[in-house]
Amino acid sequence: MSNSPEQPIAEQPIVNRIAKLARIHLDQQQLESSGNKLEQILDFVSQLEQVEISEDVSPFFGAIESVNAIREDQLTPSVSREKILDNAPESDGEFYLVPPVFRNTDS
Amino acid sequence: MTLSALNADVIVDKLNTGEVTATDCVQHFLDRIQSHNGDLNAFISISESAVEQAESIDQLRKAGKPLGCLAGLPIAIKDGICVAGQPTTAGSKMLEKFSPPYDATIVEKLKSAGAVIIGKTNMDEFAMGSSTENSFFGPTANPWATNRVPGGSSGGSAACVAGRLAPVAIGSDTGGSIRQPASFCGITGLKPTYGSVSRYGLIAFASSLDQIGPMTRTAKESALLMSVIAGFDPRDSTSSKIQVADFLKSLESPLSGLRIGVVREHLDEGLDSEVNTKITDSISVFKQLGANIEEIEMPHTKSAIAAYYIIAPCEASSNLARYDGVRYTFRAQADDLEEMYRNTRGQGFGDEVKQRIMLGTYALSSGYYEAYYLKASKVRRMIKQDYDEAFQKVDLILGPTTPTTAFKLGQHTQDPLAMYLADIYTVSANLAGIPAISVPVEPSSNGLPIGLQLQGRAYEESSLLQAAHQFQIATSWHTANPSEPWRTQS
Amino acid sequence: MNHASNPQSTNRRVVRFDQSEIIIGLEVHVQLDTDSKLFCGCSTRFGGAANSQTCVVCTGMPGSLPVINQHALELSIRAGLSLNCQIAQSTKWDRKNYFYPDLPKGYQISQFDQPICGPGYLDIEAVENSSQPRRIRIERAHLEEDAGKSIHDESNRGQNSKIDLNRTGTPLLEIVTQPDLRSAAEAKSFLSELKLILNYIDVSDCNMQQGNLRCDANVNLHIPFGEEKIATPIVEIKNLNSFRAVERSITHEAQRQFEAWQENGFTIADAPKQTRGWNDHTQSTTLQREKEDSADYRYFPDPDLIAVKIEEVQIQQIKSQLGSLPSDLRKLLIERYNLKSADATVMVSQGRGVVNYFLEVADGCENSRIANNWIGQEVLRQLNESNQTIDQYPVSPQQFTELLKLVIAGTLDQTRGKEVLNEMVEHCISSQEAIKRLGIKPVDNRELVTLCEKLIAENQEVIEQIQSGNAKAIGMLIGQARKLNPNANPGLIKEMLSKMISS
Repeated sequence: MSNSPEQPIAEQPIVNRIAKLARIHLDQQQLESSGNKLEQILDFVSQLEQVEISEDVSPFFGAIESVNAIREDQLTPSVSREKILDNAPESDGEFYLVPPVFRNTDS
Repeated sequence: MTLSALNADVIVDKLNTGEVTATDCVQHFLDRIQSHNGDLNAFISISESAVEQAESIDQLRKAGKPLGCLAGLPIAIKDGICVAGQPTTAGSKMLEKFSPPYDATIVEKLKSAGAVIIGKTNMDEFAMGSSTENSFFGPTANPWATNRVPGGSSGGSAACVAGRLAPVAIGSDTGGSIRQPASFCGITGLKPTYGSVSRYGLIAFASSLDQIGPMTRTAKESALLMSVIAGFDPRDSTSSKIQVADFLKSLESPLSGLRIGVVREHLDEGLDSEVNTKITDSISVFKQLGANIEEIEMPHTKSAIAAYYIIAPCEASSNLARYDGVRYTFRAQADDLEEMYRNTRGQGFGDEVKQRIMLGTYALSSGYYEAYYLKASKVRRMIKQDYDEAFQKVDLILGPTTPTTAFKLGQHTQDPLAMYLADIYTVSANLAGIPAISVPVEPSSNGLPIGLQLQGRAYEESSLLQAAHQFQIATSWHTANPSEPWRTQS
Repeated sequence: MNHASNPQSTNRRVVRFDQSEIIIGLEVHVQLDTDSKLFCGCSTRFGGAANSQTCVVCTGMPGSLPVINQHALELSIRAGLSLNCQIAQSTKWDRKNYFYPDLPKGYQISQFDQPICGPGYLDIEAVENSSQPRRIRIERAHLEEDAGKSIHDESNRGQNSKIDLNRTGTPLLEIVTQPDLRSAAEAKSFLSELKLILNYIDVSDCNMQQGNLRCDANVNLHIPFGEEKIATPIVEIKNLNSFRAVERSITHEAQRQFEAWQENGFTIADAPKQTRGWNDHTQSTTLQREKEDSADYRYFPDPDLIAVKIEEVQIQQIKSQLGSLPSDLRKLLIERYNLKSADATVMVSQGRGVVNYFLEVADGCENSRIANNWIGQEVLRQLNESNQTIDQYPVSPQQFTELLKLVIAGTLDQTRGKEVLNEMVEHCISSQEAIKRLGIKPVDNRELVTLCEKLIAENQEVIEQIQSGNAKAIGMLIGQARKLNPNANPGLIKEMLSKMISS
């Protein structure tokens, strides 16, 4: 896998943009194959355009509607820091640690 | 008769009478896993504390303490469901070493009913797939033909029940992930109504479609598990407050007068002719049981796969954004933040997952929301309306669960669309939120299981279980086991 | 189009900055005063040890699900009503997708197209040149969850950043105004009034040091240029966390935009919206990103949450519990209690507790002028010095009223009155007890005469000064009198001395 910064791929600027937006590193070959599959699926789902839908049809986003699900403003115990940080790839026991926003320019 | 041949309700009876100890029972299935999981790869991890838990149940029983209705029953859980302190991977490298600090609600319920979790089952990564081939931990084999897929994404749960490595299992179903593998493996699988079973602790694929359900040999066992796992959960905002039915009680009611709808097109287009024949044969069984069969129209279900392959990836692209290398296990080497994101997600996700994230990200991106997600959600409304209208006329809808029998490992891995079409009959129920069950009918001539799907009104799982149970009283297809040693099937 | 080489660039130099109009819209993030977070039961308390107030929900642990905090909804409705907003009958939740290490789920749960509060307005007092109070329209206010805190390596040596998720999931109300503000001072005035209102209705303490009120400002200029009015590109100044920063950054940004326009002539049509950050050290804004290449948030309805229906009954109930707002109280103090506008503003700005205290005392002693003087000066000074709120003040309104009655009756002079007050505060006692402790008792006329005679006998020089026209010198005698008998009323002494000296 190439670690060089992505060059905008002229043929597939959209795929490249989507990969960037999704924060997924794809090398050139993967970008191409991803682009092809994307096109294939988008072509398939384009049949939705043919479905006639009248103006008054509201979208359906989930199965249950009209019930309010709320909780009282009550404290429940937090999970211990040790337990919560246990799954972190890197921590100092207090904080999650992540690489800097900008890399060290000295190295 | 060995324990592994028995149904869960029978095992529970034997445990209750003291004929069998929980420890022996759990050990029996652990032994079977030990000797047979190598062939199937149905389990990703085995619970180290299972025997210990069984022993404590035996002690409690000895002491005459009150026990739950599943006390001592071994159960396998799909690895996309959190079990505190046990590896929960969702079939992904991303969560290879993830150990949740909490139990999913259904795990909590099963544990308090006394069920003993013996292991976590293999699955397509983040439940994305129809063959369990998209698992970081390798594919699962179908015990009916080990060169064939068990279906997916709950392929591990289906294979372990069919192969009798566990008496019963829990799966999850987003577009058919319980019913399609149940069909391929010759077992019974129920996708409950959206909101019937809490999703709290189920690692999300597509939140508005995901639903946890039982995967068992018989409808009666599914009813038994449903009576434990169903019900309102204040931790899941989409959980239903509707009173849970007595699933076991209604099983025994006869089907006379039941109106069953059949969609003509679902028995024609693209359907394997042998599947068609066996499903048609089953219709006459229901007739004999007193049901009336009526033809119904479901004009929008033909768009279901297309709508599903917008909605599910959109939700998934957002649900899977949390796997960024900061908080859970896998992080790729990187010198700066952006690189960490891209490398972690580039290396931690498998191809199919990446592909669906790409699709969902694209469909939600600026300028496309209306054309894709919104349009698909409107089509989803139309599909729901089709069901609403159909259920005015009939009580259940009957059809095939899948268009074909189990396909061969590797057969569709290069062709996403062919793979997606394995869900053609199952996704509509997820889109509409209604319950659906798959039960085995007469196998194909080459001995591969075929599943029949029944779909019902929202919150009427009990009708599905009742119909399935009555069908299983009248037939014996569900009792068949793949003969050991398991073989391949060309 | 190359604007720099446009011959009009010289014409642009002729336009003066003060001819242009500053157009400002604010996005204010207010932390709602709930005990638990928006979607889980973790504490919202400030200042806990890093990552000690998190759970599977607010860290976005796989499988976890959010459930909305009812109190956060109520506080949002309360805020909306106080800002004259339409309250939504149905409100829903959307995901705003972007990657940041302190955003655990990779999306923020927010509200996109059905905010809990719709259009409203807030009237602010006149500032500077504008002589009229101004009505600032509110576009909307929506509920969302806060992100955590990233601590970056300031040395820029490529050290790891540290992430603390305690703040993650804290409820925020984002209040968005129309671009109705016309100066930095107006922006500040709007924020002060907003902060005051939210304090009054117990929605937020708006503690800016703790980041409980943060503000982004959208700024551009309308510059008259020839026949037309030019609009400069809009700049969003991010994360302003003090009123001073708001005021200064807007002033700076307006000037910067004007100079940029003179330089390049870019209008709103030529450049995308920019995001700039305010740097307190350099007192200037710096470019963060152009909106064009910024995140594409991919909003969509959160499938883990369902819509919330808000009944009219509930809205009316919350409305009935709102109480008087600052503007109502200012009006009351001016019209019914005859306070000067400036005094009313000061009094109301102290919060509802102080105003209620004042009202009780003013009603009790039936002299709002004296009540205002004493509370506006003595009480506020004491509270300030002891860093207390009015609820902690040891003198009850009743006791305070008793004290002021004595002052009004002339039983206690101002100075003695203040001594009594100090004694009351120090020992948490009533005015009567304080008077007793200080040994204050009435001095009869005979005693006063004796005292005055003694003073005259012992201060011939001063008497001569007074007699030769230096009336002020009498003050020295009064001072001595108080030393000899602290209970002596200086007014009476003055009167008696004057009479005796002139006779």
